Amino acid sequence: MAYTHELVVDCLQFERAFCATKCPFNFDIRDFAGKLQQGRFNVAFRTYQQAVGFPGIVTALCPEPCRSVCPMKDAGGAISLKLLEKASVEYARNTLPDRYNMPRKEKRVAIIGAGISGLACALRLATKKYQVSVFEKTGRIGGHLHQLLSPEIFIEDIELQFTHESYALHLNTEITSLDDLDFDAVYVATGKNGNDFGVERNYEGAFASSRSGVFMGGSLTGADTMEAIANGLAATNAIERYLKINAMNQPEEPSGTKLTIEAIRIVPKELIIPQNGSSFSREEAVEEAKRCLRCTCDACNHYSPMMSYFRKFPKKITEEVEISIHPSSLDGHATVATRLISTCNHCGLCREVCPVNIDTGEFLLKSHRVMREMGKMPWAFHEFYLRDMEFSNEVANLTRLPGGYESGRFLFFPGCQLGASDPGLVMESYQFLLKYYPDTALMLHCCGAPADWGGDGPVHQKVLDKIKYDWIKLGRPTAVFACPTCKLMFHKNLPEIEGKFIYQLIEEKGIVPENRFKGETFCVFDPCAARHETELQNTIRRLAAETGICLESLPMGRNMAECCSYGGHVSIAHPPYAEHMVRKAVSQNEHPYITYCSNCRDIFTKSGKKAVHILDLVFETDSGNCRLLTVSERQSNRLILKNQILDQFWNEGTVMEKPAAELQISSEIKEKLNKSMILESDLMAVIENNEKTGRKIFDPEKNTFTGSHQIGNMTYWVEYRVIRDNVIEVINGYCHRMRVEE
Amino acid sequence: MEPGTYLQARIIEKMSDSQKIRKLICFRCSKELELRKTDFSYLGHTFFTEVPRCPECGIVYISEELVKGRISEVEMQLEDK
Repeated sequence: MAYTHELVVDCLQFERAFCATKCPFNFDIRDFAGKLQQGRFNVAFRTYQQAVGFPGIVTALCPEPCRSVCPMKDAGGAISLKLLEKASVEYARNTLPDRYNMPRKEKRVAIIGAGISGLACALRLATKKYQVSVFEKTGRIGGHLHQLLSPEIFIEDIELQFTHESYALHLNTEITSLDDLDFDAVYVATGKNGNDFGVERNYEGAFASSRSGVFMGGSLTGADTMEAIANGLAATNAIERYLKINAMNQPEEPSGTKLTIEAIRIVPKELIIPQNGSSFSREEAVEEAKRCLRCTCDACNHYSPMMSYFRKFPKKITEEVEISIHPSSLDGHATVATRLISTCNHCGLCREVCPVNIDTGEFLLKSHRVMREMGKMPWAFHEFYLRDMEFSNEVANLTRLPGGYESGRFLFFPGCQLGASDPGLVMESYQFLLKYYPDTALMLHCCGAPADWGGDGPVHQKVLDKIKYDWIKLGRPTAVFACPTCKLMFHKNLPEIEGKFIYQLIEEKGIVPENRFKGETFCVFDPCAARHETELQNTIRRLAAETGICLESLPMGRNMAECCSYGGHVSIAHPPYAEHMVRKAVSQNEHPYITYCSNCRDIFTKSGKKAVHILDLVFETDSGNCRLLTVSERQSNRLILKNQILDQFWNEGTVMEKPAAELQISSEIKEKLNKSMILESDLMAVIENNEKTGRKIFDPEKNTFTGSHQIGNMTYWVEYRVIRDNVIEVINGYCHRMRVEE
Repeated sequence: MEPGTYLQARIIEKMSDSQKIRKLICFRCSKELELRKTDFSYLGHTFFTEVPRCPECGIVYISEELVKGRISEVEMQLEDK
């Protein structure tokens, strides 16, 4: 998808840390500190040596500009980088430079000036095996370092770094004109106020001059000591580019950073002071390194449960999705990201916390749809929920205006899950609405979320079209929601339908009684779909307070709400992740939760966490402690609700259709079927098919029949005994995704 | 043969190990089920293994042990392939 690149182009994952932007060497201090945090002094030293060229000199002279931007500077003190660098030099097993076994290059480079910038350039070019000649007008090397350091220190370091490399040094050789030099490239580093040979800096390329093949840097161009060394090292890239492709346009090193760091992530830690007053012990160095935050943008991985679970950043996710959509495997079937794509809760938290608003969730939703259109998404991840939605929209559907009205001001859209969880709450809610707004219509229908999350575009569109058609017929009423997901889905896909929440209407009427939980402490668990519904969040808190309940805040509330695990219907695709999410959600606070999404409530109750729906408090119903319902009972509840509503509000009570046979199922088997998301109606369909066709297997030892039938794409198996006419004992039930080719 | 079929056949070949041969009768044909080669398919991959079948009408029996064990493993492998 072309969208892939656009998504991550602004990602700050690889933005430089603040310290690196101030370092003339562009030293990756984040990496260096990480190695020291693990006590790996040797590898930390290698990183340092690679970055600065002359570790001995830099450790002695660096003025630590990084300290001025270190976020820890007001949280105990900026990281003592110089002492850490010193520790890396001191405790590294081997401080000899690496020896590179590379073929000799015949290109010849002249360096004018044996100051530290020229020598740095010579060192890097010699390491790359170019033929380097250094011309110095005086009789000694080191340039202005003689005014800053004792020669023993810097001469020793220079000799050490050139241990494996050689260059031609011409002392007492003054170059007066560049025309005298017959070289492939020249680096002019003649020091402060030195000879520039009549060339000027050409700012179209790094270190470039106005003359082709001539580069300049160091104090000659205004650099200080550290910058002069860094110039010499970095100029080799520009020189090498010229030697290879004859171009003087090496891009300048990037400057600045777009990185931001949240204040709450900066935890004060006391600065480590070396006990001996001048240098760290190993332990002290590790402790000081551990103070380093290793500043990086990881907001998505820190907050998004899915991204932290997989430890993947947007770039990695887009790469994996890309190779799943355009596989490069031999058989063209490799789809490495299917489970990843299907594990997104679509809770929106990744976008909420991203400083540049990268919406990985939306990307995964689109990817899901593409994969499904290509037939690459395992149908099993969403088939149950799509069939469940079909049940809600056909068998359990009801769309009506109250008798005597041609159109309604409001349309109550309770959503398919509230009725499945507790028909009583829908009855109470509708009764409330009719009392104050007698023309309120009712629509028992699914909002289409299962199709949206399952990536099934055509089915989703069909659901939306049906809702819109019915809404127009009802006189374009304002929808009244109980479920934040339904409202979000309408907002996204049916923006012409205005909506509000029943909770706001309840608050307006001031009907909330004090209830049985008066004085107890609860926490409001905001559903992820309500993260931008600030008014709703306030309403729920006010309603809860009116009932006499004391409220405590959750760390992840309001716009930072985490999903309870239901979003995206991820539990089939990734059961361990769904369990992880539930554990995470319920452990936010020891007090019971108040929810305003029935899925959150049911999931928490199932996990053993006490949770009540706000409507339980408002209407003083008792479903907060309701027994746990199986998937079959949840479907039956929708039919019961439809019947009760028809009976109570339209006087059209019907006798519910009796199943063809009575299934006797033990509670253990019911629980087992529920875990496998097998509906009793599916078992009945299998048995009916077996009995009709005679296609069943007899087990003489157990005196049972076993048979299978494919419903949708799933194959269901039932082992059963016929007790008497139309009474069947179910011994076992299971299902598999694989299809048997008979 | 579709690429990958052989691999999948190898993955699934041990499925029949857990299919203990116990006496099972096809209700329609009154014949005892026998281990017979059976084709399976999932997500565009096809493969085969031996499972109890009626020698006459071909009705297949798959035990819960096989479903919860090897079949479930192979399904997950194919979903993540």
